Amino acid sequence: MDDQRERITEYTRKCADSFLQETRMEEPGPRMTLDNLSMSYGDFRALEDIMLEIPRERITAIIGPSGCGKSSLLRCLNRMNDIIPGCRVTGEVRLDGENIYDPGYDVIRLRRTVGMVFQKPNPFPKTVYENVAYGPRLAGVKDKGELNGVVEESLKKAALWEEVKGKLLGPAMNLSGGQQQRLCIARVLAVEPEVILLDEPCSALDPVATQRVEDLLAELKERYTMVIVTHNMQQAARVSDFTAFVMIENQGEPGEVVEFGETNHIFTNPADERTERYITGRFG
Amino acid sequence: MKARKDFHQQLDELYLELLRMANATMEVLERTRAAFRDVDMEAAQSIIEGDDEIDGYVTRIDGEGIKLLARQAPVAIDLRTIVIIMRISQELERAADNCVNISKAMENMQGYALSPWIRENMDEMFRWAIKIIVGAVNAFKERDPDMAEELTRMDDTVDRINREFLTTYDRESEDETELVVRVVMTARFLERVADHGVNIGKEVRYMVTGEFAD
Repeated sequence: MDDQRERITEYTRKCADSFLQETRMEEPGPRMTLDNLSMSYGDFRALEDIMLEIPRERITAIIGPSGCGKSSLLRCLNRMNDIIPGCRVTGEVRLDGENIYDPGYDVIRLRRTVGMVFQKPNPFPKTVYENVAYGPRLAGVKDKGELNGVVEESLKKAALWEEVKGKLLGPAMNLSGGQQQRLCIARVLAVEPEVILLDEPCSALDPVATQRVEDLLAELKERYTMVIVTHNMQQAARVSDFTAFVMIENQGEPGEVVEFGETNHIFTNPADERTERYITGRFG
Repeated sequence: MKARKDFHQQLDELYLELLRMANATMEVLERTRAAFRDVDMEAAQSIIEGDDEIDGYVTRIDGEGIKLLARQAPVAIDLRTIVIIMRISQELERAADNCVNISKAMENMQGYALSPWIRENMDEMFRWAIKIIVGAVNAFKERDPDMAEELTRMDDTVDRINREFLTTYDRESEDETELVVRVVMTARFLERVADHGVNIGKEVRYMVTGEFAD
């Protein structure tokens, strides 16, 4: 029986491999590297010795059960955890070779370079225009013409321009949920990031809006490195190039990266049994 | 619509790959027919050696099909299409395997003269088996669910000729046992080829209508 199973596994591995041989993505170098990253909230150790490389200009999905530290991990990538009292980080997170946790690292610049989109769309209670212009203006862009240009270009990149060009001066809160989320993406794009972090960006959106955002991500990865946390495994399977599976062994223990690999492999033939149990729904 | 378009593009590519495989299989059938008619041992050998090419199609189609199922979680017509494409590729592979079997059976036929009766009836059987496969592939290409019935009718002819080989020829032939065995085996292999064609027709019907044949 084992023999049969082994032969079947070998066959499906050969199938996955045969496809990969034809369309193997060039191994991109990492944009960000997590090196022995550990994080605690006060006494509670949330992440332990995370080793991960985020490939440049690809979409990396982080999947795993609730409460395993996915969002905490994401927030380490642009030091959003800094604002949480009692939060301590050890180890390194390197962006293009520089450790972002070095004392003296420009955190403001970091949060522009590594932008974030949140689960619940959170446009500013301002006009559509102001939402996008806010960041560049803060960064020193004063010329009206230039600002107009940045706003238009960012909204175009976020696939939102056609829908809002006639109501730029209208309130952002009047847009639909999906439009608001794309506005938040435009807001991130306006300050010229290199990395975009997305924390469950579609979980508050309906299926049609979700698809539009996913289509947008597929376009954006030509220029930006993206990391998306999602509890929707199908989304991770559809959208990402690489997938990291994070989980905790037992309640109260810190999260760890169980497996990381090309999404093709993870969803057709994961290496770790725990990954397979999770993605096939045998978890818990 | 980039992400979903990529999926449908990949689905189209899978569909085309199956048609390419079907072309390759039909070509092998024609070559086997000619090889048998002429008792051409070289042609038979080349058919045996070329089987890896057909197997390669199955590996690629399975690989791509599984990947699409895993990553896109398709439903409805997309799901049926992918599953049926993978099934049809196996039917075609087995049809091609039977051509290899026929070619191998020819190994010990060298030196024998095929009687006009054998040559005519086997060629007739080849003709019908190929017609069934071509009909089945066309049904897939045109997404025609109704071809399945016609293929079953054509299969009756193949079965009839096969029975004649099994009974009339086997019983009454004065040919040497070695040749008789090879000829009867060949008829059997062709009957299998026709069966695979009929199966493809049924699978196409399921793909299009979502209903299994009775």
